[in-house]
Amino acid sequence: MASFLALMLEYWPQVLSGLGNTLLLAAVISVTGLAGGVVVFYLAISGGPLRRRLTEGYISFFIGTPLIVLLFLMYYGLPQWGLKLTPFTVAVIGFTLNVAAYNARYLMTAFRGLDPDELQAARAQGFSDLQVFQLVILPQVMRLSVPALTNQVILNLKDSSIAFLIQYAEFFAQMQDLAIRSFRFLDAYLVAGAVYLALVSVVVVAARWLERRYVLPGVRRAR
Amino acid sequence: MTANDSTTTGQAAPGESDAVVMRGVSKWYGDFQVLTDIDLNVRRGERVVICGPSGSGKSTLIRCINRLEEHQQGDIIVDGVALTDDLRSVDRVRREVGMVFQQFNLFPHLTVLENCVLAPMRVRGASRRAAEEQALALLARVRIPEQAGKYPGQLSGGQQQRVAIARALCMNPRIMLFDEPTSALDPEMVKEVLDVMVELAGDGMTMLCVTHEMGFARRIADRVIFMDGGQIVEQADPEAFFTAPKHARTQAFLSQVLGER
Repeated sequence: MASFLALMLEYWPQVLSGLGNTLLLAAVISVTGLAGGVVVFYLAISGGPLRRRLTEGYISFFIGTPLIVLLFLMYYGLPQWGLKLTPFTVAVIGFTLNVAAYNARYLMTAFRGLDPDELQAARAQGFSDLQVFQLVILPQVMRLSVPALTNQVILNLKDSSIAFLIQYAEFFAQMQDLAIRSFRFLDAYLVAGAVYLALVSVVVVAARWLERRYVLPGVRRAR
Repeated sequence: MTANDSTTTGQAAPGESDAVVMRGVSKWYGDFQVLTDIDLNVRRGERVVICGPSGSGKSTLIRCINRLEEHQQGDIIVDGVALTDDLRSVDRVRREVGMVFQQFNLFPHLTVLENCVLAPMRVRGASRRAAEEQALALLARVRIPEQAGKYPGQLSGGQQQRVAIARALCMNPRIMLFDEPTSALDPEMVKEVLDVMVELAGDGMTMLCVTHEMGFARRIADRVIFMDGGQIVEQADPEAFFTAPKHARTQAFLSQVLGER
């Protein structure tokens, strides 16, 4: 192990840039995935039956399709039609479509727990549908979904390693490279696992903090 | 399902003194008719109490006034505005009509003060300062100014309902609708809410109130309406209504709600 760590030090810039790429991709898709999820959620609950069916179809499709298929389709498939995208672009588009579907599903689940009378009361006060969404529905649904949404950020962080398979030079790709150079596969994957675990721990701590911060005084929940 | 918009426009000329006009209003849930040919005029400043057995359509009737429920036949004119499918007419009416619900329906993620200033700021475009000033004055009026920073979940039912009344008043409504405002309250909290409503009635607010509180009706109502089976069966001033109800169904209802007192 010691000699592998020495090798990591030697290739430090490479390891560091991999780490940076992992964090960049995870951060970007967490933001775009959340924004996309909110948009899909809004479309799902605000329109007529047709729109509801379309958004439900979107969600089911992307939850039901392995992400790797989507990524390979865009990265290795689309060039056949002359459309060449960078690994990062493909990863961001693919993950965003996928993560948005999951996040929308979480938000819709929380939405079903809201009191419909409360939404009527909001309409009775003269708020437009968009205002009801913005001021009443979203703040509550987001609060209720903090555990699910932060869990998704953890998944994003770990799953970003899949982008390795479309030539995105993220952390796992660099570790794989070092493993091949040194033939120390066991060490390389143990270190990679430990690093992901450490990164996830930071997100977990942040998630706990968010959960505590958004507890509503006086609202009782099962524990 | 809504066939009323073409018929309303021509005849939307209610008297200046009418706050609410309903003419031949009917409504169905599928095949079931909940409101049948309702005619009702409420004058400005008038206090009307609506009572009747559950399922009689009384809640549906007042929910039609701010279009939380759509009527399918007849005309409803509120504060001079005919309610049609035109969203602008609905928005205009909702700005002028406050409503208090059985279950309070405060926004649990906002403090009492935030609950009160949200609509004035976002619907009326009031400044935060003006909205907060008015909200605090109204919270004082419903006698809970000290709770302004708390969340609804931290208040008792009676306190929440008084906040709900203050929240509705913050929009300076011309008409207030109450949908069984004390039905979800513990008995010891009914009075604190009714006291606030009595005070409001004394200020000349136009009020339509669905309630089973017959003592309250007797005290503040200008007119009591009895509904059954989606129809207005009988209406009279409280004195006549309680001492000499004409209709057999009214008599049966009154003996039921008053009998146990």
